[in-house]
Amino acid sequence: MDKTETEAIRDVLAGDRDAYRVLMDRYFSSVTRVAFRITGNEADAEEAAQEAFLRAYNKLSSFRQDSTFSTWIMRIVMNTAINLVERRNRDLSYHASRIDDEPSPTDHTVRVSDKQSGPETMLLNREAASLRRTAMAELTPMERTAFTLRHMEDVPMAEIAAALNVTSNSAKQAVFRAVSKLRRSLTPVAGGLR
Amino acid sequence: MRHFSEEELIAYQLQENSDAVAISSHLENCRECADVSESIAETLRVFSAEPAPQPDLERNWHRLRANLSVLTPQRRSRFEFLRWNWAWPATGLAAAAIVLLTVFGVYLHRSGEMKRNVAVNGHGPITVEPADPAIASHLEAAERLLTEVNNSSGPLDEGTREQAHSLLLQNAIYVRNARNSGALGEAAILENFGRVLTTLDNEPATEHSTWRLRLEMNTSGLLLDIRILQQNDDRSQGVTQ
Repeated sequence: MDKTETEAIRDVLAGDRDAYRVLMDRYFSSVTRVAFRITGNEADAEEAAQEAFLRAYNKLSSFRQDSTFSTWIMRIVMNTAINLVERRNRDLSYHASRIDDEPSPTDHTVRVSDKQSGPETMLLNREAASLRRTAMAELTPMERTAFTLRHMEDVPMAEIAAALNVTSNSAKQAVFRAVSKLRRSLTPVAGGLR
Repeated sequence: MRHFSEEELIAYQLQENSDAVAISSHLENCRECADVSESIAETLRVFSAEPAPQPDLERNWHRLRANLSVLTPQRRSRFEFLRWNWAWPATGLAAAAIVLLTVFGVYLHRSGEMKRNVAVNGHGPITVEPADPAIASHLEAAERLLTEVNNSSGPLDEGTREQAHSLLLQNAIYVRNARNSGALGEAAILENFGRVLTTLDNEPATEHSTWRLRLEMNTSGLLLDIRILQQNDDRSQGVTQ
């Protein structure tokens, strides 16, 4: 861990809460991106990131500085985001804004704008997004987390295992199960299973 | 010619397989495996990273700052090392658990050769038919919670206790489903897990509560049972081809 971070942590523990801004500036974006991969929507991603930073702050005195702050905060946000997804799954009345190709206020969906796309690309993107969303919904929270972090964020398997509090082999199996399920989901359209 | 399983080919595509050279040369000669491998690669391409929204740092900082209390520096006690008095019993327990795991692993390996059903901690045979596809998610949550219980040195944090509370009702449903479908071994394990959840939900968190829970309810053994249930569930869903 570099000197600036160590000093920021020391200052926070000495009572200077504004010193926490240094850590937030460095990691909030990546933490939110990971939360977004797990939750699948912007509002929940920000909520999980906020909660993770708050929990890290309140537990900062127990943070052993032999590991890096980034690994520690990633571990916290993954757990927070998974718990949030599980909570949302149980609460059927909750509808956060979700990314969709057809934004609709009744379905609480929004679209991430892509200014460089032409009509043809947009049509293809729309179909692909719909397919991806359906397939991802079939995964368990752990499978989704392990897969997105390994494949989309390139996080090493050992780090994913540590963050999810499971063995490296369990994390690996979760990724394999996820790819297998996604591949089967693509079967009808792309000849995913040959 | 030995064909490679789907799992091995997924590991190869994710660059997690140490046998990459052998797989690569096999794919050049085997059309069947090459097709599966290409289909996995295609799946990974379809699910490559989508753009993620950029958070507004300034707004988020103001929101977070409003919730931050000013921390007061803690004075270190001269008798700090006494807090580590749990380390020796924990080491002893861990060694005993390793021996038990080894013996149990050998037993499972041998019994697996004879029949497909397995017995866990004397609860009788566990079905290989998944009663409910959603149980995979429940077992994962159970595994994470028990790992937290087994690894925490102090009281459990609020988030973990909340999670235990929310798992409690869900667990009762899975116990009933397991009983109704005749999976008595699975029902017994989930019932034991339910006892851990009830204790977590009702007893106040003290410095030694997690440690006592581990000793009284054998959460390490329960974690092993849950992992075996997960493996049985994976096997019955047939991850590999």
